[in-house]
Amino acid sequence: MAGQDLQRREILRIMSMAAVASHFPGFAKWVFACAHEGSADGPTVKPAKYTPQFCTAQEYKLVERLAELIIPSDGTPGAREAGVAEFVDFMVAHEPERQYKFRTGMTWLNAHSERLLGHPFVELSEEQQASILEPLAYKAKHREGEEDGRAFFSTVKDLTAMGFYSSEIGYKELDNPALKFYQKSPECPHTDDPEHEHLPPPKW
Amino acid sequence: MVKAMPSQVYDVIVIGTGAGGGMAIKTLCEAGLQVCALNAGRRLNPEKDFRNHRMPWEMKFRGFGDPARPSDNNPGFVDTEWGPNIWEREVTFTTAPGSTWMWPRCFAVGGKTNFWGRSSARFGDIDFRAASLDGYDVDWPLTYEEVAPYYSRVERMIGVSSSVQNRPSNPDGEYLPPFNFRCLDHILQKGAEKIGVPYLHDRIAQLTENHEGFPRCHFCGACTFGCDTGSFFSSSWRFVPKAEATKNLHLRTEAMAKNILVDENGMAKGVAYIDRQTKQEVEVYGRAVVVAASCVESARIMLNSKSRHWPNGIANSSGQLGRNLCDHLYGESARGYLPQLLGQPSFPDSVGDNTIVWMPRWQNLKNPREEKFIRGYSVYPGGGCAEYPWYATQAEGFGSAYKRDVKRRYPTPVSFTVQAPSLRSDSNFVDLDPEAKDHYGIPKVRIHFQWDENVLKMWEHSKEVCAEIIRKAGGVCEGSANEPLIPGWSLHETGTCRMGDDPKHAVTNGFGQTHDVQNLYVCDASVFLSCTDKTTTISIMAFTLRTCEHLIENFRREEHKRA
Repeated sequence: MAGQDLQRREILRIMSMAAVASHFPGFAKWVFACAHEGSADGPTVKPAKYTPQFCTAQEYKLVERLAELIIPSDGTPGAREAGVAEFVDFMVAHEPERQYKFRTGMTWLNAHSERLLGHPFVELSEEQQASILEPLAYKAKHREGEEDGRAFFSTVKDLTAMGFYSSEIGYKELDNPALKFYQKSPECPHTDDPEHEHLPPPKW
Repeated sequence: MVKAMPSQVYDVIVIGTGAGGGMAIKTLCEAGLQVCALNAGRRLNPEKDFRNHRMPWEMKFRGFGDPARPSDNNPGFVDTEWGPNIWEREVTFTTAPGSTWMWPRCFAVGGKTNFWGRSSARFGDIDFRAASLDGYDVDWPLTYEEVAPYYSRVERMIGVSSSVQNRPSNPDGEYLPPFNFRCLDHILQKGAEKIGVPYLHDRIAQLTENHEGFPRCHFCGACTFGCDTGSFFSSSWRFVPKAEATKNLHLRTEAMAKNILVDENGMAKGVAYIDRQTKQEVEVYGRAVVVAASCVESARIMLNSKSRHWPNGIANSSGQLGRNLCDHLYGESARGYLPQLLGQPSFPDSVGDNTIVWMPRWQNLKNPREEKFIRGYSVYPGGGCAEYPWYATQAEGFGSAYKRDVKRRYPTPVSFTVQAPSLRSDSNFVDLDPEAKDHYGIPKVRIHFQWDENVLKMWEHSKEVCAEIIRKAGGVCEGSANEPLIPGWSLHETGTCRMGDDPKHAVTNGFGQTHDVQNLYVCDASVFLSCTDKTTTISIMAFTLRTCEHLIENFRREEHKRA
């Protein structure tokens, strides 16, 4: 056991993912899409279409749109590619205590959009959608009477971030070091500059 | 109905297979003694029960856990999706009014060593002789000189990585090469230097080189979910298999020790346990008993061992059994970020979790009464790229700016965790709850504990110092935790069977042998007089090695007769 090499582990891990995907069909989309790049004889699980478990079809479109707005596809993949809406719906579906507020939050957002701009949220232009969300998202732009909307937005945002940054696409977005193993104890590459005052300019 | 197994008498019964129990069974079995080990939980299977490099997207709830399932009625219960549930649910405890206690426990074979923090500093004379230095409490009944050789042997046995630091307050040991400093360590070290605080390699029982047949660490960063290659010390990887190889070990799992059995002279003759699967009570007999069930659990078993000879619990003529409970105060003393690293490429910062570096006690070293508190604390700095970018939950806004903000901040966070010892006091102790019984009908242990004024002063002190270090390092301090963590959280409780030369005031002697019952030994942190500023595990192992060699010698001299 002690001598079991990582390569074998890695193969076992990838093999087990096929099984995982079949257990949680809601997750097949990105398990399949993300996991097997460059794997010539990867598992043959077909991506299943996700059926929302909590949201109605219309509500689900709203969740999808919100997730896309929160973590957009802007040069690197975003919430859409990572299937984040599935995760949000799935988590809410599994937390009964959260459902009432989540549903009333969606209703609030649509009613609010209709009141201000005459259409439900998903039918607004991107700029209009941003103008609805900004007062919910930025402290400096908070408006009185929108407390419920802010709480709802905050919930969607937290779940979106959780769903995105726990996906393989999210790991790649950050170049998450947990994607690799290391031969030796990783060492700071700037030991001649301990205070790190002369680093190359920020990468992003 | 009690099921006895009279046909077999073992040389030694050992309760527990963690750091203390594991070391005990290995040492005793290798010396040729016939050992029966009782373990309250099941065996772990590293193939299935550890995280083993599974990624969050391979899990139903992405590793966040089922949102519908509350975190259990046992506060501090740690439930994850990363492996089968190995945390204790059925053996709960009560707290006295005014006390809080949080206590995740793993009763599987190997106990908490399967998931421990791996920090492995030696206690020094500053700890053993603390009372002589500052006048509080009493000294330990042994000196650093006496224990040092055992520390060396344990270090060689398990492999500890660190550097030589020349600080008598945290004595150097025999080390493998240290983990390398990360960017954040160099930056914070410079800040700490400016206010005279040491920022050094931790002593970490995690292999930077192949050692004793185990491969060096592969730096996956998932240590707290268990290691699939045995690259950090755990009893289940290192001790239990060695003991089993001698063929002198009989390991009984799912065996929940209930009480110690005594003979007509009040000496230990075995252990009664509940088989958790059949719920049946079983007795096993031995010529000596080693209790290594961890501090509070050992006290519970001994307090529950009442007989004509020991009406208040076995080996409790001093009345000190269960008393003197100490614990480490844990808490986030400061958090912030390092703007120097904004937008820099990610770096594997959490490969050893947060035990790569530490700031070992620097207070009250020259003058034991220099600060507003006595004794001292240590701090574990950490930060950098974690598996989950927690800043995503704090950052304002949405859209590309938000996404970029999360990415820029990813390598920058820093955080300091204080480890501060509570002082012994008469009001902190455990006893048996007179009414509540656990799932198996065994009285629940009742915890009486509150942080003392001294340790809370350390907490306040650490907040100021750590904030200052972040600022001196050119970082931005964003605050600290409002409160320290609830007692129990560190899992470093000590003192319930404290050692001492005077049988009137101590449960065991300096060898962990109970004063009252010569064939009963205690091999866990319950014998420690305080938890010091260091962690307890390596000291449990060093003390246990010493205790077991004393025990073996007592067999050799026929003070204990072989079975």
